[in-house]
Amino acid sequence: MITVHLHTTLQRRTPEGIQRRLQVTLPAASCLADVLDRLAIPLDQESILLVINGRLAGPDQPLADGDEVHLIPALSGGAQS
Amino acid sequence: MDIWRVNLEKRLLTREPVPEAWSRLGGRGLSARILLDEVPPTCEPLGPRNKLVLTPGLLVGHMLTSCDRISFGAKSPMTRGIKEANAGGSTGLHMTNLGMKALIVEGQLPGGGPMRSAWSVLHLSLAGARFEPADDVTGLGVHEAAAQLLKRYGDKVAIALIGPGGERLLSAAGIQNLDKDRVPSRIAARGGLGAVMGSKGLKAIVFDDAGGKKPHLADPEAFKQVQKLFTKNTLDHPQTKTYQDYGTPAMVRTCNAFGGLPTRNFSSGQFEGAETISGEQMRELLLARGGESETTHACMAGCVIQCSNTYAGADGKAIVSPVEYETIGLLGSNLGIADLDVVARLNWEVSDLGLDTIDMGAALGVAAEAGLMKFGDGDRALELLREIRQGTPLGRILGHGAATAGRVLGVLRVPVVKGQAMSAYEPRAIKGTGTTYVTSPQGADHTAGNTIRAKVDHLDPKANIATSRGAQINAAGFDTLGACIFAGFGFMVAPEVIPQLLTARYGWRVGPDILQVLGKETIMLEREFNRRAGFTPVDDRIPEYMRTEPLPPHNSVFDASGEDLDGIFNW
Repeated sequence: MITVHLHTTLQRRTPEGIQRRLQVTLPAASCLADVLDRLAIPLDQESILLVINGRLAGPDQPLADGDEVHLIPALSGGAQS
Repeated sequence: MDIWRVNLEKRLLTREPVPEAWSRLGGRGLSARILLDEVPPTCEPLGPRNKLVLTPGLLVGHMLTSCDRISFGAKSPMTRGIKEANAGGSTGLHMTNLGMKALIVEGQLPGGGPMRSAWSVLHLSLAGARFEPADDVTGLGVHEAAAQLLKRYGDKVAIALIGPGGERLLSAAGIQNLDKDRVPSRIAARGGLGAVMGSKGLKAIVFDDAGGKKPHLADPEAFKQVQKLFTKNTLDHPQTKTYQDYGTPAMVRTCNAFGGLPTRNFSSGQFEGAETISGEQMRELLLARGGESETTHACMAGCVIQCSNTYAGADGKAIVSPVEYETIGLLGSNLGIADLDVVARLNWEVSDLGLDTIDMGAALGVAAEAGLMKFGDGDRALELLREIRQGTPLGRILGHGAATAGRVLGVLRVPVVKGQAMSAYEPRAIKGTGTTYVTSPQGADHTAGNTIRAKVDHLDPKANIATSRGAQINAAGFDTLGACIFAGFGFMVAPEVIPQLLTARYGWRVGPDILQVLGKETIMLEREFNRRAGFTPVDDRIPEYMRTEPLPPHNSVFDASGEDLDGIFNW
């Protein structure tokens, strides 16, 4: 089971209210891209920061049971060169 | 445009042509240049030889979205080095309408010191300078003082003013400016510039731009075209919508996700109550409460990003405007407080005193570690802030910020660099921003070069040296233009907009890297001032405990090497 935290504009409106946190169960050897696929969120690394267990990650990074994933729409300012 | 110089001893205004060496700078860069040219770097910051400098950025004056910021500069009583703090609001626009390239306030009105009895308002208009008594607003918080001054001078003026904190010469005192709704919410908060203004005997500077006009444009038609493009690029950018809806508080969950949210006096990077103080929570709460709540609010006329907010309580009445991420981090999680209503009340109190919420949150965190309050006890935090208003010895200690509080209270874990408190990014988890805290001539300050949004491993000390360098150069460049850092993504859609705007306004031929050229020049000027003030590489270091005590959840320490830190500006 993976816990997925949805930030700002990726939160979901459901009849029960706004959902910010989801539990996702995926087959073994799944990666972050599979999570996005499952949630029907387009993989656009320009506009979404992918974070696994507090570290910036790439879409191919494999996931393990109990991982905490954060999907964060990018907010820039300051760090571009 | 002229340099307006007000000599307080002679009560005299002179308008001087702009020296050649100052002409191609504005904002933070011009402030640094003026301070280096005119202020002895070893002077007493609250003495008569220090000067208070107000410099609108290079692009200020034409309501270009997010580009009308005003820089305040002086030698800092907090860092004892060079200081620039900037703010939105209407002050910059009124200054340029009056034809001011810079305002230099020098000397002091008589009767100074912590027991000063007579305060003045400096009123500036095309007719010149007037000094008027400030008896009726002395001792008042900035909200009431601003309301009284607006009654006296009419609601079309711009005002820069200090609160009781600045009157008492507290090192955490800032200078507040009116937003577009005439609320004194836009504070040049950091480094004690409010105390410098207080040392001069000025409660407020009023700018009346009646009869003034917008600054000259070298090529009005070209300016209009580029302005249109820049506005469109900013407005169409998906990030504008995110800032409008969530503002800076969107950073609470982001920073918590990276393990970098300051918690209980910087002892953890994750807070169990982060969800309830998040930007997402705040938006839902304010939308449900309605009334005077605003989830989207512009601090400057003409800004299309509008990242600010007005926070209302359960009764729909405004508590404070705005509640920003840094305030939530320092007065919320850093104090173990998980209730946004409590954060908003603390925020109002600190703002009304005219103090910096970052340094006050850090000072209260230190006070909690010293046993003066329990983490999570918002009522006690408010009591401690009221001691500042009462002027008790404890209040004065806290009002000087975290560094002074730590020394007096015997606390060794004090999150400061060069005497100035860290913002709401833990340097052991967000090492790029930590590198900025350590190496910036400004002292610990995220606005000098924040890297949380960079695509970098935030725990890698080496990689973050370059990330911080780039962020610091850009931040100093934007501060010199008078551009809000959030205008950055609008500029990045078409970076050529920056040289095009400067060419259309001034007729200058500038290269495509003008942002970085301005940023580098600014940082070099500031470092030179600090060098002459006696700063050495020893001042560019993190507090010792952050090198030795691992921070949960990553159990990381700040481990950038001294060699890397000392070489960061060798470009």
